[in-house]
Amino acid sequence: MKVFGNKKTSAQVLNTEPSKNSNSMATKQIRYEALVKALHGDLYRYGYWLTHDKQVAEDLVQETFLRAWRALDSLKDEKAAKSWLITILRRENARRFERKRFDMSEYEEANIMDTQSTSTEQEIENQWLRDKIAQLPPEYSEPLILQVLGGYSGEDIASMLNLNKNTVMTRLFRARNQLKDALEKEPEKMRLIHE
Amino acid sequence: MNDSIMPENKMDDLKFRRSIYADPTSQDDEIIAAQNSDPARKQLAQELCQFDEKLKQAMQVPVPEDLCSKLLLRQTFASHQQEKRKSRVHLALAASVTIIAGIVVSYLQFSSSYTNVGDYALAHVYHEQSAFSNNDNNRVSLVSLNKKMTAFNGSFSESMGELISADYCRFDGMKSLHLVFKGLTDTVTVFIVPKKEHLAFTDKFSDEKLQGESLGFKHANILVVADKNESLTKWQRTISDNISWSS
Repeated sequence: MKVFGNKKTSAQVLNTEPSKNSNSMATKQIRYEALVKALHGDLYRYGYWLTHDKQVAEDLVQETFLRAWRALDSLKDEKAAKSWLITILRRENARRFERKRFDMSEYEEANIMDTQSTSTEQEIENQWLRDKIAQLPPEYSEPLILQVLGGYSGEDIASMLNLNKNTVMTRLFRARNQLKDALEKEPEKMRLIHE
Repeated sequence: MNDSIMPENKMDDLKFRRSIYADPTSQDDEIIAAQNSDPARKQLAQELCQFDEKLKQAMQVPVPEDLCSKLLLRQTFASHQQEKRKSRVHLALAASVTIIAGIVVSYLQFSSSYTNVGDYALAHVYHEQSAFSNNDNNRVSLVSLNKKMTAFNGSFSESMGELISADYCRFDGMKSLHLVFKGLTDTVTVFIVPKKEHLAFTDKFSDEKLQGESLGFKHANILVVADKNESLTKWQRTISDNISWSS
């Protein structure tokens, strides 16, 4: 896609092929800024659910975007940007484990986000659900996050996680099933599902 | 829950539950049909969709407000560093080029581009051709010639002809004595050159106009360059007969 003129929408910017740009550095900068603005929130949340730690999630997102900047020319399709970034973030997270090997398997309640002191009923519900999501085994919670938060289909998730689709669907079933079991153990929360 | 298996449904209950739990918003025809044929299934699907909404809300943890600007700032710094590295590379390149240029210039200035004494002597004579002529009236005495010869630890016993000029000069970087005699048709140039190894010794050399001969002595080489009317052998003999070396 060749773009004439100076005014570029972010979609055009993201879609511009670097090889055709006379001023590739400036265009790269614009593409990068568009990417950051559009997707940093999704990526941060994904990082948060992967690590259950605000600070680590932020670091991961920073690393991810830094790598994305370096490899930006390889991103050709704007629609693929988000899953491309998620893939980078997952790789960064894996690297973090290789580097530090600190034990994240033990879920610590204190780490899970405690949102503001404005404890509305809504917030209490959210917090309860967050705890339950965080208690899911990571192989169940990750596809669930990608599906619910990322809006990805079973096929998309399968290809992002290098799994076959049946495995992904089974894990999604188990994830929701476990959450529902947790609800049933606490009858006062049942309205979450029945409301 | 709805555990009764209704035979009229194609999809069994377990399969429906697994499917709807895996993807409550599934648009699969079979799932939609199964929902439409059974209100209980439809209700389960709706509950799960609502539950997904709640999950989504819970999953949408607040994003740090400054994260976006942090990311942009960090990238700006990172590419600034890159630029700085680049400019440092440019600076280093410029410095290297300067140094190499300097080396080349001094090499050209102080080293010979000639491989043997003959070539250099001819070039030197051509270079100074215009400075001397056979008709110059200026004469240099034997005394002042010998004064200059002390630099080479040598002296001449008697005058070898009409000496127009005797001056030190740089003979390919070496301090030498440059003598110009009046010759038959044109000046005869005699170089007294210290013995150094960086030019190959050539005893006879010539081009279409000039000829030259060199003789090696104890402390110096003596080169005679003249046009083709001169007998260089005669000049060399006169020099050899006249010159004496101290120590």
